[in-house]
Amino acid sequence: MTAVAAARSPRMNARTWDRVLIYGSAILLALWVLVPFYLIFLSAFSRPNDVFTYPKPLLPTDLSTETMQTFLNSTGVFASVINSIAVAVLTIVISLAFGAPAGYALARFTFRGRQAVQLVILASKMFPVAILSIPLAVAFLRLGLYDNVLGIALVHSAMALPFVVLVTAGVFAGVSNELEEAAMTLGCSRLTAFLRVALPLALPGLAAAAIFTFVISWNEVFASSILTLRQRTLPALVLFALQQSPLYFKFAGGFFMVMPAIVFIFFMRRYLLNLWGGR
Amino acid sequence: MRRSSMRALAAATFAIFITACATTGTSGGGAVASPTGNDTGKDFAFQSTQFSPVPEQEAMRQQILKNWKGVGVEFITDQEAVIINNITAEAKAGGTGRIGIIGLENGQFSSIVAGNYLQDLSKVTDRNKDKKINADMLTLGKFGGSQQLYIPWMQQTYFLVANKQALQYLPSGADVNALTYDQLIAWAKNIFDKTGQKRFGWPVGTNGLIHRLLQGYWYPSYTGGLVTTFKSPEAVTMWNKIKELWQYSNPQSTTYAFMQEPLQSGEVWVAMDHGARLINVLKAKPDDFIAVPAPAGPKGRYYMSVVIGLGIPKTTPNQGGAEKLIDYLLQPDTQITTFRTNSFFPVIDAQMPADLDKGLKLEADAVAKQSSAKDGKVVPLPVGLGSQGGPFNTAILNTFQRIVVKGEDPSTVLNEQAKIINDLLNTAQAKCWGPDGTSTSTCQVK
Repeated sequence: MTAVAAARSPRMNARTWDRVLIYGSAILLALWVLVPFYLIFLSAFSRPNDVFTYPKPLLPTDLSTETMQTFLNSTGVFASVINSIAVAVLTIVISLAFGAPAGYALARFTFRGRQAVQLVILASKMFPVAILSIPLAVAFLRLGLYDNVLGIALVHSAMALPFVVLVTAGVFAGVSNELEEAAMTLGCSRLTAFLRVALPLALPGLAAAAIFTFVISWNEVFASSILTLRQRTLPALVLFALQQSPLYFKFAGGFFMVMPAIVFIFFMRRYLLNLWGGR
Repeated sequence: MRRSSMRALAAATFAIFITACATTGTSGGGAVASPTGNDTGKDFAFQSTQFSPVPEQEAMRQQILKNWKGVGVEFITDQEAVIINNITAEAKAGGTGRIGIIGLENGQFSSIVAGNYLQDLSKVTDRNKDKKINADMLTLGKFGGSQQLYIPWMQQTYFLVANKQALQYLPSGADVNALTYDQLIAWAKNIFDKTGQKRFGWPVGTNGLIHRLLQGYWYPSYTGGLVTTFKSPEAVTMWNKIKELWQYSNPQSTTYAFMQEPLQSGEVWVAMDHGARLINVLKAKPDDFIAVPAPAGPKGRYYMSVVIGLGIPKTTPNQGGAEKLIDYLLQPDTQITTFRTNSFFPVIDAQMPADLDKGLKLEADAVAKQSSAKDGKVVPLPVGLGSQGGPFNTAILNTFQRIVVKGEDPSTVLNEQAKIINDLLNTAQAKCWGPDGTSTSTCQVK
């Protein structure tokens, strides 16, 4: 009995150590991400003047919603959140509507110049928007797209499309062609085979593309600032103002900008894990 | 005491800006007092680089514009680049735009003026003659021509704020209201020697205004100039003094933007900054802090005046409405509300109320003392640099970073940075301004 235990213990130890190491690093990584969020949360939910306490307390002893309320009540914040969400959703719809078929085509069909097309799509990322700013604003003013949610969504889609095309091409390449062919032998048309077989299998990948698109649109400041005046998205409205605002406002704004993205990713996480072969 | 401080305040609001320009002009045009444009009844946007902190924006919308009876005005703050971009795009797209009026710093108008995007506001100046708008500032708003391209709106300056805890460490014989830079260094050293803490602070972080402190305070006070004397022996002396002070400065200075924050948290006891970046600590803890004039160097007590102006783009959707808004913003009541809520000083001859907030009173007294100091000399923000304004600030900031933060040899750095400064002055074809006097050709480092 004791001999068996003795023989097992070194292996047990090695396994325990493995686990400690894995979980330890996981905890460390999680803290790396979470501690800054925690500090932002703490300051966003304390009284404005408590932010200046030095040294700063690390425990939530005196929480207050005063700072957050002032931030949320300041002019335009609520409307800009709605704008940001509208722009992000429109961007996801537009870029998936155009990007997914393009990705599918790149994955399924071999045609002359396929690589060149891929390269050109990627190369469009090389143009800095800053150079285009005035001509773009002039064009949008003339087209009536200036200061308009659809206008910003179009620009954001243009920014997100290269990613969407490349990600979806990778996703569709991973869905076996044979499955679609089998579906077609069983009476599906090309379209229904795509809709009923390829699309459900590609869903996690498309979700990943949607997350990328959401984050790109949610974080984008420059195009949103120069193409709007009153219909601002949240970052365009607050980013410059926050840089110059009192410390407690920075925390409230920072917290408010981070939260929706975290919530969104929390819900989309499932699909991402599927994509990476998680359980 | 109160009456004298009020009188000093009134003097200050006028005297911040005495000799900023070489020439003093009168407002042009005849005595026509009719509006130049019709109020089309259209709402418009008021875009400005000022009041970007959220509480100041809210004060603008809810208090300063409270009694405005005209069409809907949406106040929007943005970075200089975005506003220039918007005005340019609206001008190029033709027709009328959405921006009715802009409020920028004197220097930020340059490229919009160069693009010829602004209306002549001479008639608006005329009908506001009774308000006695500061004549020097009006001249600045003409950019060397005959048209009034902007009308002064408000003004600010930089000064020094100290925590009262620091006063016990003042070097003997020093008058806190008339410090010299040597005494300031001795003060910071004394605090360090006695407490072991580095309590002097600089706004060297991103968005900090250290370049303005160098351009309007240290450089002219030590060398009597800025560009022409950039690498003079006096400049080398000055940089060595700054290095000395840096030893006793809080190392976190490289992260500070608004000095009111480290002052309020107590990380820093003594600091200089823009008035709007100090006022919150004075308002929050008026009994714990003092505000005093900037120190003096061998060449005098130089300080910088910041003028904010109002311009109307040619593409304005409502010329008459925007002009009425200028009239409104220049009313004594509005000017005083602006000072009360956002701590920018009036540009007109306004009677100050006696019931000012304690913090505002501290600020007003400091500014009054600074402008009435015997050795006080005022300089404007850099003039005529246009798009080279940003690179010029960067060149000054880099000089500070290299000499003070990284500890490189002052003479070498000054020679190298002088070339950069000369190049960008050549690009801008900028004549000398303020501390360097006037010049007929492009201003150059000697």
